[in-house]
Amino acid sequence: MWKEVRDREAGKLPPITFASRVRSCRVSALGLSNHKEIVSPHHGAVNALQVDLTEGRYLLSGASDGSAAVYDIQRATDYEEGLIARHRSLFVVDKQHEYGHKFAISTAIWYPVDTGLFVTGSFDHFVKVWDTNTTQVVMDFKMPGKVYGTAMSSIAKAHMLIAAGSADVQVRLCDIASGAFTHTLSGHRDGVMTLEWSTSSEWILMTGGRDGAIRFWDIRRAGCFRVLDQSQCQLGRRPPFLENTSKKIVARTSLAGSSSLANKSVSRKKSPLGNGMKQSQALHKPQNLLRTPVRQRSHPGMSSSHDRATAHYGAVTGLKASVDGMYLLSSGSDSQLRLWDIESGLNILAKYEEMSLQTSKSIHLALNPDSSLVFVPCMATVKACDVWSGLTLQTFRGHYELVNCCYFNLQDQELYTGSNDRQILVWSPPSAIINDLEEDNRKEQKFSADKDNWSD
Amino acid sequence: MSVWNYVVTAQKPTNVTHSCVGNFTSPQELNLIIAKCTRIEIHLLTPHGLQPMLDVPIYGRIATLELFRPHGEPQDFLFIATERYKFCVLQWDAETSELITRAMGDVSDRIGRPTDNGQIGLIDPDCRLIGLHLYDGLFKVIPFDNKGQLKEAFNIRLEELQVLDIKFLYGCLKPTIVVLYQDNKDARHAKTYEIALKDKDFVEGPLSHTNLDNGAGILIPVPMPLGGVIIIGEETIVYCSVSAFKAIPIRPSITRAYGRVDADGSRYLLGDNAGLLHLLVITHERERVTGLKIEHLGETSVASTISYLDNAVVYIGSSYGDSQLIKLNLQPDAKGSYIEVLEKYVNLGPIVDFCVVDLERQGQGQVVTCSGAYKDGSLRIVRNGIGINEQASVELQGIKGLWSLRSSTNDPYDTFLVVSFINETRVLAMNMDDELEESEIEGFCAEAQTLFCQNAIHDQLVQVTANSVRLVSSTTRELLHEWNAPSGYSVNVATANVSQVLLATGGGHLVYLEIGNGKLAEVKHVQLDYEISCLDINPSGENPNYSTLAAVGMWTDISVRIFSLPSLELLAKENLGGEIIPRSVLLCTFEGVSYLLCTLGDGHLLNFLLNLSTGELSNRKKVSLGTQPIMLRTFSSKDTTHVFAASDRPTVIYSSNKKLLYSNVNLKEVSHMCPFNSAAFPDSLAIAKEGELSIGTIDDIQKLHIRTIPLGEHARRICHQEQSRTFAICSLKNCQTSNEETEMHFVRLLDDQTFEFISTYPLDTYEYGCSIISCSFSDDNNAYYCVGTAYVLPEENEPSKGRILVFVVEDGKLQLIAEKETKGAVYSLNAFNGKLLAAINQKIQLYKWMLREDGSRELQAECGHHGHILALYVQTRGDFIVVGDLMKSISLLLYKHEEGAIEELARDYNANWMSAVEILDDDVFLGAENNYNLFTVRKNSDAATDEERGRLEVVGEYHLGEFVNRFRHGSLVMRLPDSEAGHIPTVIFGTINGVIGVVASLPHDQYVFLEKLQANLVKVIKGVGGLSHEQWRSFNNEKKTVDARNFLDGDLIESFLDLSRSRMDEIASSMAVPLEELCKRVEELTRLH
Repeated sequence: MWKEVRDREAGKLPPITFASRVRSCRVSALGLSNHKEIVSPHHGAVNALQVDLTEGRYLLSGASDGSAAVYDIQRATDYEEGLIARHRSLFVVDKQHEYGHKFAISTAIWYPVDTGLFVTGSFDHFVKVWDTNTTQVVMDFKMPGKVYGTAMSSIAKAHMLIAAGSADVQVRLCDIASGAFTHTLSGHRDGVMTLEWSTSSEWILMTGGRDGAIRFWDIRRAGCFRVLDQSQCQLGRRPPFLENTSKKIVARTSLAGSSSLANKSVSRKKSPLGNGMKQSQALHKPQNLLRTPVRQRSHPGMSSSHDRATAHYGAVTGLKASVDGMYLLSSGSDSQLRLWDIESGLNILAKYEEMSLQTSKSIHLALNPDSSLVFVPCMATVKACDVWSGLTLQTFRGHYELVNCCYFNLQDQELYTGSNDRQILVWSPPSAIINDLEEDNRKEQKFSADKDNWSD
Repeated sequence: MSVWNYVVTAQKPTNVTHSCVGNFTSPQELNLIIAKCTRIEIHLLTPHGLQPMLDVPIYGRIATLELFRPHGEPQDFLFIATERYKFCVLQWDAETSELITRAMGDVSDRIGRPTDNGQIGLIDPDCRLIGLHLYDGLFKVIPFDNKGQLKEAFNIRLEELQVLDIKFLYGCLKPTIVVLYQDNKDARHAKTYEIALKDKDFVEGPLSHTNLDNGAGILIPVPMPLGGVIIIGEETIVYCSVSAFKAIPIRPSITRAYGRVDADGSRYLLGDNAGLLHLLVITHERERVTGLKIEHLGETSVASTISYLDNAVVYIGSSYGDSQLIKLNLQPDAKGSYIEVLEKYVNLGPIVDFCVVDLERQGQGQVVTCSGAYKDGSLRIVRNGIGINEQASVELQGIKGLWSLRSSTNDPYDTFLVVSFINETRVLAMNMDDELEESEIEGFCAEAQTLFCQNAIHDQLVQVTANSVRLVSSTTRELLHEWNAPSGYSVNVATANVSQVLLATGGGHLVYLEIGNGKLAEVKHVQLDYEISCLDINPSGENPNYSTLAAVGMWTDISVRIFSLPSLELLAKENLGGEIIPRSVLLCTFEGVSYLLCTLGDGHLLNFLLNLSTGELSNRKKVSLGTQPIMLRTFSSKDTTHVFAASDRPTVIYSSNKKLLYSNVNLKEVSHMCPFNSAAFPDSLAIAKEGELSIGTIDDIQKLHIRTIPLGEHARRICHQEQSRTFAICSLKNCQTSNEETEMHFVRLLDDQTFEFISTYPLDTYEYGCSIISCSFSDDNNAYYCVGTAYVLPEENEPSKGRILVFVVEDGKLQLIAEKETKGAVYSLNAFNGKLLAAINQKIQLYKWMLREDGSRELQAECGHHGHILALYVQTRGDFIVVGDLMKSISLLLYKHEEGAIEELARDYNANWMSAVEILDDDVFLGAENNYNLFTVRKNSDAATDEERGRLEVVGEYHLGEFVNRFRHGSLVMRLPDSEAGHIPTVIFGTINGVIGVVASLPHDQYVFLEKLQANLVKVIKGVGGLSHEQWRSFNNEKKTVDARNFLDGDLIESFLDLSRSRMDEIASSMAVPLEELCKRVEELTRLH
């Protein structure tokens, strides 16, 4: 780190590069925190975690016992042995609360504009909007079924909509400004597990359902404009070129005579993923398909076959869009992770290592801001995978039971995970000082042990 | 200090980031255009060198600077893109010598992540489109239409995420880019794409080359007829085109910049990390490339940009050393170098550290910076005001006047120095050994005080004494003629030029004489109402030998009057007001504007605009230069006339942009001065100080003066110790041992006068010096240097070991007194309550200075505080400690004496990545962060809730556009107790681009006034390229963009003084303030730096 600081001050390392290097360096050192603890007040599985987007200071959690709690993650409430910072909840709202949820909370999100409001959704069919300061419900929306997921757009300027997915097939948009539903989005054939607003347009919503479909909606227009199809894939990171262009290249190659270079460039389309077989099969297919989704944006006349396309076999359990707005990650009950190009809607065919994912619940994925790492709850562990190569770089073991959600705090490069074991764990880069002190303590202990022996 | 801050640049950026050459100002003129991060400079190539034409600020950090010529245009346009995603196309307006905006726009995108490797902007050589790589995975295209207008931009997805360089290829039917990129296995490749404008997509291009040199970093497209591209690596250089592929190995080096020599693209200059310049030649037979050749030319500054100008003259722009203008010779010199440095342009960047000292103990701060890097590392002494470099001096008491005389009118040099004393006049002359010795001019009266003397026409000399005016031949040195004062009267004051003499005797008599050949003629005589205190007839009209105006200062009514010559008719009278009499008047012309300067007995100077034909005085301004009477005298330096104001605070008055400027001179009290240009002391001044006459040369007349102490190594930390009169630095030297480059780190001691190394303490292998302070401890009178270090082991991510070394200076040597091992890098050290406060990785640690039983001393840990990511920057005040964290903004800690503990009081919860902090006052702290912003936070100790008390409230935000490495309290200027500016506390900062700036805390009413002025100025002064000032100064980081608040842009406010009179009037009227007062208030501010 010292070298980076030094290169930054001499102007050899641009500040932005400095920051991203430090961040990735810290992320690669993530481990169960040796200096920070969140004291979970929940008596049930922790289903949702989110840190507020404005200050990066308050963590919101929602749990199966119907309780939600808020913690200050920057300022510890007390220190264990003067060293390990403990963060107790600032407040808890649970079943005892006058307006508390009766059943499990499945989703809890902050109002993106400030920390004055937060939203919870529960199996008791309600989506509730809470005033953080008074811990009172200021508004509630009765959904037609168990609420599985809610989402608010962090970039919205023109609306204050909560997109809510439930056991019902329809996605509903709840307007905080008016207290009413403004939209019902129909298309899914089963309940909607997970929702994600686009990070580049405030009007685009992406939803994943138990029917295995991921649908894109432009809420200014009727109907869904895209259904992701796992069989429409793209080799490499951008759509392949049009057919005629690849012909051109071949032609030129033969002209040029020195064929080695140009030939390579055709076959060497970035393929860190997939095996050779798949590649050659897929090589022609997408070329025809490339333009089709564009044409079909027009909806509602979306061809019925396309409308039935699936992103996963089984249910879609998690969605996460990258910060740069270019990619979408999805997880399914088929225990697969898929990476999608948002613009073209194509499956990027990143091959993630085999993992087993929860099938019954929606899970919360997390991405680090440069979209290089995805954190996936895999049963009782959380895995950190390289988004592009699919390699599992790290497995975080600490929970005793299934992990439901994880949240990556990019401000502090910390990961928070919530599990059925009712705990919220903090994963952070190690603090050297604690290590030092531990070392000192150990030395002391050894010393005292010696002494004991000696006195014996 | 306060929360209302005024930020102003004292030293503009000097780091050259971009340069290009083209016909910008006219089709016939060749221009060099230089970008210095936030400024651009336009130079004209002339046979005599570079002639500056324009130097303007850009409201943005320049990411791309390119010249291009759209079809059908006779001259080039300038394309500029800024780091905050604005772009503009500029054209030169020859009539007004200004830049016209042809096009501008915003190229920011919602999607995409900003590139880590820097923004790339490029223009198709056939001018079909502009390409920008601003976000990973996206390539933005701005097409030109047929008329050369820009059309709407669009994005193309770029598969390669880690792009290192992009260039356009020459001679392609469709615009074709070549992309150098790194894959996720860290291998580097190049490939090409044609841009299909219609489809808005890429088409695989004609070339591709995989698995290049691991250090491949630069692409050079080769113009037709050869075509293709050169890829510069660290160990190989590759040329490839459709038909050819050539590679040559090179000595391992990192190439940083290239410049094309010939239009046909067969020769290139390459500049590397070590400052070595190479010539790369593509050998070819007609259009067939046969090979590559590389030749070593010599050494320059480490180049960041290379522009080949013309006739083997090359501009080397540098970020780490002085920029240079060099000539490439055909034959090597004795050292084997083909390079001849023609000119050097000072670059202070990167300023990694600096200290403010007052070496001359005059109450004026100087900044000593650690500047440059690699071999170009240096210390720079930056001083406001003008330096006199003393060449010779003699002890002489009681000097009453000084004049220099030539032995004949045509003699280029002065021969005599006439020194007048109360009862005698002595003449000094240069002898054969270039020494001043006493001489004699026979015709002069040596037994009386000389009131004035002067070379006159016809090879004559004039001496005025109390009794007479003597005209002496300068060849025979005999008295030719004498005019005697009327009996009963004696001459009190006198002045003369080469053909006229004006004198005043008691009783208010004013006598005007004209000098003829061997004759003095009394032409006119008038009696005025009061006694005359001072006179001047310096010719300021067209005739340099004859003045038509005379300026006269009067006793009693405290006025200055203008008389016509020879008639001595009163043309104008200006009452000065007050009770202080005028002591010196001077008629002079600067840059074609005539002024009357008049000084008062209390050190004030008044200046008026003078109408030469009517003698009218207007536009009165008053400034305070000192506290004692001021004597004015003109002198010239580099063919420009300046005025020397001799007093207790000697000042040089000069004009720039038709604006009078005042610069301090680094001398204590000066009573008299005259120019003395002799063969031995060319262009010198003779200066009479208390008890001493000295001769010295004067620096260039400009506001800031920079002296360079080249070190040949990179100084990183500096501090000064008053007691031992030394500086100590932490520095590192790059050493080339066999194949490996290693770094050696030192603590060095320098004399604070000579700046020579007087002692060196080498650090261990892998040990880096991180911080240094001079301090003393309680119960110990010695002053110590404390150095914090880190062991940077190659396998360690973060240093886990360091040392604190305590040195004392004994007999000019560094003696290690104590050392203490630490568990990490010592990023910062502070003297704190007679103890030592260190920031070690995440921890703040306080050490006591303990006396051991054997009498030796040691550092003993007392208490600490953790909870930081990395505590990089620490400042203290009283018991308060302010910590700037790597990424968690500012926190405030308190040391509790009773408990012996350090506790956190409050913190800013924003995620600012800090680069420097400073304490402004008890409650307000200043921070600089990673995205080039400044901000202030305030302690809320009176808040009602714990939560609020624990939070540092952000009170000011501002985008500086500069990366600040260090703040220091202090001032570059002399603080005069009677001026308003004297009470404004200031902090100095230093940045990577070599900017030295000042943050001044203003009283609230002044802040409000200036804020209003700034708002008015924004309406009148438009940014170059139509860039918005408001957007530029808005605080901006990854998370948010908010308008600047509680900070004022001093550079903008002070540019008020450069406006035309009519626009000034316009602003004054919209401010509802008299123009004179407005000018005065702004001028006050300019004296802060």
